[in-house]
Amino acid sequence: MELESTPAAAFDREALQGAVWYAAASLLGDSASADADLSVVRFRRADGDDIEGNDRDEGETGETADYHASTAGGAEATAVVRVRRSEVERARAVLACVDAVEGVPVRTRVRGVSGTVRACEEKYLKRPRAGSRDRTVAFAGAERRASTRGRRVDVELADGLVGATELDYRDTDH
Amino acid sequence: MTGDDGSGPRADADGGGHPAGDDTEDGAGDQQESVTDGPYAAVHTRPEGTATVARMALTAAEADYAGIVVRNHGDADAVPADPSEREHGDPADGAYVPAAVADAYDVDVVPAVEIRTDDRGQAAELLSRYRDERVVVCVHGGPLNRWAVEDPRVDVLAHPTRGEGDLNHVLVKAAARNGVRLEFDLSRMLRRTGGERVRAVRGLRKQREIVAHYDAPFVVSTDPTSHLQVRSPRALRAVGETVSFEPDRIDAGLREWGRLAARNRERLGEDFIAPGVYRGRYEEVD
Repeated sequence: MELESTPAAAFDREALQGAVWYAAASLLGDSASADADLSVVRFRRADGDDIEGNDRDEGETGETADYHASTAGGAEATAVVRVRRSEVERARAVLACVDAVEGVPVRTRVRGVSGTVRACEEKYLKRPRAGSRDRTVAFAGAERRASTRGRRVDVELADGLVGATELDYRDTDH
Repeated sequence: MTGDDGSGPRADADGGGHPAGDDTEDGAGDQQESVTDGPYAAVHTRPEGTATVARMALTAAEADYAGIVVRNHGDADAVPADPSEREHGDPADGAYVPAAVADAYDVDVVPAVEIRTDDRGQAAELLSRYRDERVVVCVHGGPLNRWAVEDPRVDVLAHPTRGEGDLNHVLVKAAARNGVRLEFDLSRMLRRTGGERVRAVRGLRKQREIVAHYDAPFVVSTDPTSHLQVRSPRALRAVGETVSFEPDRIDAGLREWGRLAARNRERLGEDFIAPGVYRGRYEEVD
């Protein structure tokens, strides 16, 4: 499963597990959620600054892990969620209903389903897509602090973050 | 009248099974379809929501949607710009060039609006105005439910059972007669818990029963106001299933936005004079 959140998101595996359990109990009820038995067995966040060449799709060659992180968090993460075979569709529904972790809004998307955790990691858990970079962009009539990841940019406005893309702003710090 | 398109998805779609086993969500195994045939996400963008049209489009494209329908409420409108003009306005304020966004992310972008007012006179004015400007025109459900289902120029009655809104046999029958799509709004299923979700589920169930009874046209949406609220069609099928909503109907409702857009674009084209009146063709209308 992939997760997208805000650039400052710093929740960990346990927090995500809590949100998944809460969503399961709420959507399915206690007994059915016990049947589904969703456990977050892997969690990885794309953290810190990355060098150029965002949007790299083939994962394992990136050096992001060794890079000094400018923030503890990061907007993108991936997770493996183990679930009973017969409950895959219900688990999918539960994960769709996870819309925040520790109060931080998240988007969830199931990349794929495999028979084993290892197969799942190999097949779907490539390194999270893009490193983030802080910059200043011209948006909403002023220079704004923003965090970019590939084509995406999250811009800080007075009343909160705005999700935009490279079509929406001009880069102003070169 | 609006009966030319078979008016929407029907209750008795074929029961296609789910793919099982190892499968990717990236569309490799999924059927590839022409743009207007795929599922569409009906969304709220800046200035009403927290994402620009472009970010919604990018996110929706990656979540396996074929298109987005930009349906901000009229009082927080996202205004499609004319690509031939030099200045397109500020994306932060909701300005967008549909074709530019569509090209960038390979996803259809449908300019739409959701009329929200309690006043029928004002609603009628807005409807006349937007009907010629936007491809899809929705009406915010609630007090205007009755009014909206009686006007064939309305494409979609949005979330008719949310809050104070209610549906009954008379309204659904009128909607079916006038080709007004009744929206199944899954936002409360996805983003609320407890009593609010229970009420939402109850409303959806009632709507489903009456809609099936009259074979009324419908659309499905999740009403996102942020790109983080976008969920894939497949996820929505799964969510629907937890409340006995057939996955095929979810699919049909997501696709119906695209069909509606295709039909209306044709009508907005040169040959179109008025609903039911075409120039130079002999189509069976009504």
